[in-house]
Amino acid sequence: MSPPVGPALLAGAGVTVLIVVLLATVATAHLLRGRRSARDARRTRELMPLVHALLDDDPADGTAGIDIAGAPAGLDEIVLDLLPQLRGSDRQVLRQVLAERGVVARAVADLSARRSWRRGRAVALLGSAAGGQHIATMAARLQDRSLEVRCAAARALGKAGEPAAVAPLLRATSGARALPQGVVGMALLDLGTSSLPVLREALVAGDGPARQLVAELLGVHGDLSAAPLLEGLLRDTGEGTGVRRAAAGALGRIGSPTSTEPLVRALSGSADASLQRTSAEALGRIGDPVATAPLLAGLAASDVAVRAACADALVRLGREGRAALQDVASGPGAVADVARAALDQLGTTPSRPQPAGAR
Amino acid sequence: MTEVLHDVVLTASWTVLGYTLLLDLSMLALVLLGARRVAEARRWKGAEGYGEIFASPLTPAVSLLVPAHDEEAGILDTLQAALGQRYPALEVVLVDDGSTDRTFELVAERYQLAEINPRRTAELPVDGEILSVHRATTGDPLVVIRKTSVGRRSDALNAALNVARHPLVCMVDADSLLEEDALLRVARPFVEDPADVIAAGGVIRAANGALTDRGTVLEPRLSRNWLVRIQGVEYLRSFLLGRTGWADANALLIISGAFGLFRRDLLLEIGGLDPRSLAEDAELVVSLLEHQRRVGAPHRVVFVPEPVCWTEVPETWRVLARQRQRWSHGLAQLLWKHRRMIGNPRFGPIGTMALPFFLLFELLGPVVEILGLAAVAVAAGLGILDLGIAAVMVGLAMAVGTLLSTTAVAVEELTYHRYQRGRDVLTLIVAGLVENVGYRQAHAWFRLRGLVAALTRRDPVWTAMPRVGFARDDAPSAELLVPAPR
Repeated sequence: MSPPVGPALLAGAGVTVLIVVLLATVATAHLLRGRRSARDARRTRELMPLVHALLDDDPADGTAGIDIAGAPAGLDEIVLDLLPQLRGSDRQVLRQVLAERGVVARAVADLSARRSWRRGRAVALLGSAAGGQHIATMAARLQDRSLEVRCAAARALGKAGEPAAVAPLLRATSGARALPQGVVGMALLDLGTSSLPVLREALVAGDGPARQLVAELLGVHGDLSAAPLLEGLLRDTGEGTGVRRAAAGALGRIGSPTSTEPLVRALSGSADASLQRTSAEALGRIGDPVATAPLLAGLAASDVAVRAACADALVRLGREGRAALQDVASGPGAVADVARAALDQLGTTPSRPQPAGAR
Repeated sequence: MTEVLHDVVLTASWTVLGYTLLLDLSMLALVLLGARRVAEARRWKGAEGYGEIFASPLTPAVSLLVPAHDEEAGILDTLQAALGQRYPALEVVLVDDGSTDRTFELVAERYQLAEINPRRTAELPVDGEILSVHRATTGDPLVVIRKTSVGRRSDALNAALNVARHPLVCMVDADSLLEEDALLRVARPFVEDPADVIAAGGVIRAANGALTDRGTVLEPRLSRNWLVRIQGVEYLRSFLLGRTGWADANALLIISGAFGLFRRDLLLEIGGLDPRSLAEDAELVVSLLEHQRRVGAPHRVVFVPEPVCWTEVPETWRVLARQRQRWSHGLAQLLWKHRRMIGNPRFGPIGTMALPFFLLFELLGPVVEILGLAAVAVAAGLGILDLGIAAVMVGLAMAVGTLLSTTAVAVEELTYHRYQRGRDVLTLIVAGLVENVGYRQAHAWFRLRGLVAALTRRDPVWTAMPRVGFARDDAPSAELLVPAPR
């Protein structure tokens, strides 16, 4: 039995042809790249005066007097690049340009394209180029079969800036085609403070993962009105650790002194080290001297990260916390090491106690 | 006797032929998957821009961990690149792992280090003795740990993990230069999907020969050394196509030790890096996946098919041999340690696809390759070698190898296009061809020695690679001196 020479020769010939095709492609791409970038640069130079003219126009006049439809195709890309950097009337003018040139209509049509990258690109374009009238169309893409398209739809809804998008975005955090929480979080943050009332409602009525995300976002917004709700979540020992941890972190960001008591309870009473650590960090952010004693007690916690967080929090408390740390640091033992490490950040570490008999 | 030998040679030939066919088909499938993913990523980068990731308050802070042993040649460049990252919140933890050169002195002088009490955030066991901990007084977020070396990178990384403060940790080799946006690119999956993503990595490339200035790669160029050039193609093939393909199949096993981002809480849960492992990067990913599967927690390992890191590769055969031997030894350790996962559907595509592939083609590949070469030699000795058939088979094997390399170069040229000079692209293509003669066979030999070392349970020891440092931008290329066309 000898090896199959015929098929091997055939396969070899096929592979060689493929190699030659690839080589030709590489050579052509390399040679054409320089010309193409020069052409693009030239086109941008030619079109920029037109874009400036559009932006300089009186907003009331819109784009009157300029032949928008007849401008070269490169204008669309320049406008799309500029859009995210602009606000107010300038942004409105460029959106109008894209609508007049049929870019928005083409994007709407592309939402049902077979290829996912086309749908994704289309919904992303709608988010920055279209107004609130396309919210429902974009929200429908939150159930797209491609995860990337769903993510693009969420971000597009955030960029569109309509509070009506909050509810569908929150719904998208669960279900068979759930979106990653970070994507929804960024989209909700893009919506700004107009989304706060709906977020507060969701903190009470939403499901576990959604409430964790909402708690975090309310903290990022520093929403003082949400503090009582967040404190309630933190106190509720039947609540999941993730939600309570997010509530503790949010309370730290909000910085209300009323939150000190539930945070101290979480630090002293919880068995979960991550919740204890977040509570200690939050107490440091709030800076209420009432927390000094519980934080000092936390220096002896069994978890090393909790000990470090308590020491850092004491540093952040100000004079009172630092004085307490100085006292501890001048003594012996592991707790003193933690205190010294924290004080090192300020350059105020007392010297190590010398062992007996040391010179 | 001759007849028996004849039969043995024939059986060996058929085995090698079948094995090669299977390997080529698998590689082709991986390459197609990878090429498709890279092309899609270039067509549409997804919804998120890096500026938005940078500005987002949801972007987690990162601790960059840099273990260094005798790295005076390039440590300042590496630190400059790490500290110069465009990222909202980061710290760098450098571990001087028993250096006998001026690594620590150089860093101490540049960053005006002051000794501090260590702020411990974890209590992972560390075999080497911690001598001192220092902090930069220049305003840079840099902590330096000095410890005695026990000859294992994982020990240094565990020491760094014990003082890392941030929720994500990024492991960086001390001979690597990061692109300015490297962290942003690789952290993006963590920002978008913080609950599921447990690790992420990006494309690593050979830095030898590239023009650099204070930690920044100004102009990627190929070295004049053919050994380095061949490794350049190897890296392109492995990162641009292989790993992208594995990631697409949700079966990525390796996040490179040169640059990888991980969730710190999970690293602590699994007890840090395995102190005995010689392939601690792959070992870490497999341990994390095994742990997450066992506790029923989500786990996505993401590969970002974009160039993020430039690393120094061996310039001599001797150093290359040591490196590849160590990799093979480490792979054998890993597969033995996680042998219950191999072929086990409970572990998903990792158990059913990636681990069997690594066992069959990565670990046992050199055995089959050397067996094939021996069969040819014996057949020639017995006078039963058909030169025509042998030439066709060797030609086919070379053609397939060249096709894979050329595809990698083509994808690079059509997508990232980092090598500006035409002669560099041409050199890469030639290196992909030259690789088949000599390099491939020597590589199989090095890996076989690593496998034998693992089978004979030789003590795993990490041997540091001698560094030459990065090429300075003393003589910029003509292209850099000519103003850009207006």
